[in-house]
Amino acid sequence: MQDNIEGEIKSLIAEILEKDPNGIGPDSRFVEDLGMDSLKALEILVAVEKKYKITIPEKRLPEMNTLSATVAIAKEFFTTKTE
Amino acid sequence: MPRIVITGVGVISPNGGIGKDSFSNAIFGGISGIKQISLFDTSDFKTKTAAQIDNFMPENIIGKDGLRVLDRSTKLLCSSAKMALDDAGFAVTEGNCRDVGLAVGNTFGSLQSISDFDKVAIKEGPKYINPSLFPNTVINAGASQTAIRLNIKGFNVTISTGFSASLDAVIYAADSIKLGRKNMVLAGGVEELSVQEFIGFYRAGCLAGLEDGSSELSCPFDRRRNGIILGEGSAIFVLEKLESALGRGAHIYAEIKSYGSYFGAKDAMSQAMAKVSLGTEKIDYICCAANSTKELDRQETSAIKEALAAKADSAKIGSIKSMIGECFSASGALQLAAGVCAIEKQMAAPNLNYEEPDPDCGLSYTPGKAVSSEIENVLINAFSIGGSNSSLMISKFAG
Repeated sequence: MQDNIEGEIKSLIAEILEKDPNGIGPDSRFVEDLGMDSLKALEILVAVEKKYKITIPEKRLPEMNTLSATVAIAKEFFTTKTE
Repeated sequence: MPRIVITGVGVISPNGGIGKDSFSNAIFGGISGIKQISLFDTSDFKTKTAAQIDNFMPENIIGKDGLRVLDRSTKLLCSSAKMALDDAGFAVTEGNCRDVGLAVGNTFGSLQSISDFDKVAIKEGPKYINPSLFPNTVINAGASQTAIRLNIKGFNVTISTGFSASLDAVIYAADSIKLGRKNMVLAGGVEELSVQEFIGFYRAGCLAGLEDGSSELSCPFDRRRNGIILGEGSAIFVLEKLESALGRGAHIYAEIKSYGSYFGAKDAMSQAMAKVSLGTEKIDYICCAANSTKELDRQETSAIKEALAAKADSAKIGSIKSMIGECFSASGALQLAAGVCAIEKQMAAPNLNYEEPDPDCGLSYTPGKAVSSEIENVLINAFSIGGSNSSLMISKFAG
């Protein structure tokens, strides 16, 4: 399950940032290493929310700057899923 | 007053024209791009054809990075603009990017994007809107993305005047060069085929083949004409001040002589010809706006007769919409591309499907295949029955 979530979120990020998933490590920096801009950051947020039917406060967006951080934040909100 | 010339052409047309040369071959080869629509499901509709662009691979023209969030209009426009710059042999650099402007004609470009945006909001909720797709919902998305991608940092203008939009964009560009704002402007237009556009024209009763017994055919000036066949495409031109073009040794396709925009089609044509010392004597080819509708084809015929008087009979007259359908905002630019190619090839493009003459359209139209002829002056008409009428005259560059 844990591997699935990290794999799923990695696929979302790879699609949005137009990168090879194999080039995205747990600590690859979205901005500095993968070229993410502010619009794509929001797109990642919305994509994760939509995928898992969760709501992540936008103030947490700056923390979602690596794969591992994004996975951790997403899991925080798994227990408070929206319908 | 500065002289303005065309030094680059980028064009994507639904009859197989990717680039100027293949467009020219398709247009003068009488190739029709009208076919069964595959971009969306037409099973609920009586009419099923359009001039749809097939096998469009923008990644081969502008690279694949960033294409994911661009809509169809933007990809078409970026691609034709890139081809125009390449054709002109002009490289945009940090040193010259502020000296190049961009003027684009477009009307329906964001219609599908707005519709898709709203569908998500309604079906899934506003919180699931994809923010990366939001920029596509504005009408200047295409021009903006093109400027970003090609690093064009002069002015950036989108003109949305319907049928005449792309010709109006070329006119805007020419005026801006005359006023000394820029020495080079990329100008033209784009229009994409979308299910929303199709449904709108279908329900408004504008499409050919809706009435029982009528033909689903694009046959400008023909007695059987009964409506439009929709098309899509893009054409962008590099317009330059003559001195600038000569200074860099650019190939010159044609010179923009004059133009007019009026509520009345005849007035637009008259203004396009009045600024030149030709009078009505040497209009060699008229690339018409006629789109296989009763009213517009008759209106244009009447305007040509009034504006050219007896000289109308000696001009080659035809509509390429018989091959590429009604591309709405992009039509004027695609017709201008045909005019440029006509000067280059010394041929008038065919007017397909003209088999049953209509007394209301009693001019001598080009036949179903291209005609070799001395082509020095070409008049391009972008007309609508709504009153947005523009005409533009180009001439073979004589030095």
